[in-house]
Amino acid sequence: MQQGEGTEAQVTWEDQQNINKFGRLNNRFHELEEEIKLAKETNESLEDAGNELILLDEDVVRFQVGEIFTHMPKDEVESRLESMKEEADKKLERLEEEKETILAQMTELKKILYGKFKDAINLEED
Amino acid sequence: MAAASTTATAAGEERRGIPAASFVEDVQTYLTQSGLDVNASLSLLQERLQQYKIVEMKLLAQQRDLQAKIPDIDKCLDIVATLQSKKGSGEPLITDYEVSEGIYSRARIEEADSVCLWLGANVMLEYSCDEANALLKKNLENAKASLEVLATDLQFLRDQETITQVTIARVYNWDVHQRRMKEAMKDT
Repeated sequence: MQQGEGTEAQVTWEDQQNINKFGRLNNRFHELEEEIKLAKETNESLEDAGNELILLDEDVVRFQVGEIFTHMPKDEVESRLESMKEEADKKLERLEEEKETILAQMTELKKILYGKFKDAINLEED
Repeated sequence: MAAASTTATAAGEERRGIPAASFVEDVQTYLTQSGLDVNASLSLLQERLQQYKIVEMKLLAQQRDLQAKIPDIDKCLDIVATLQSKKGSGEPLITDYEVSEGIYSRARIEEADSVCLWLGANVMLEYSCDEANALLKKNLENAKASLEVLATDLQFLRDQETITQVTIARVYNWDVHQRRMKEAMKDT
């Protein structure tokens, strides 16, 4: 946090709690960005897998479960892939929603804190 | 992980061995009461901040370990489920597995009534599929619960760090302010 030039504004316990809350939201925001990145990558991989499956001629596909590749009939792999994609999509949606909520809360807090402390506080990413 | 914070911890409480940073209502009062001058109190606060950082490192390492554990347990549950689903069909499960880096071999798994679970410390136990499921699910629940507690601990810790950082800034600003006033009085 930037050190102000001998600010006059006193910091109350409520201000401190707002600052704490902003810190928590900011941390969660960064965690979410990481999680969203991973979720998007998973989605892409599942897409690619689906595409490869369509191009595949054989009936038996080696499908990775854990550390091993089990031989599975093509249709079963298809349906598994479908349900994995659905789950991944839902997860991504949830994460994006949470991110929006957090951004909104952070904007609110910024208004309050900048309103009281103006230059004496810095809530931006460096 | 819930984004909304739980009820804010009142100043003076501690949490699982982490002391709370006491909130300073008024800098002047704080300095008079503690009997410290500005520099001494700033170094005390800095020291506290360092200690908090050390605990944060430890908690983050624990969090990373748990976060790595959970996908592993999920994979195991997946395999047990796959084995169980093959049980009724009468067909063996054919799979390619890694013998060594880059070398794979084929295995045929007939009716799988039991699985062996690695429990750690060079111990592996045989369980029926149902027992294995129950054990793995329980481990997963425990890991997730520990992760939640850890996340709350980290939130609390980071709050205390923020409070300490703000106090440091306020003490410093107060000092700058005092010096300015003294200079102003000298000039008049």
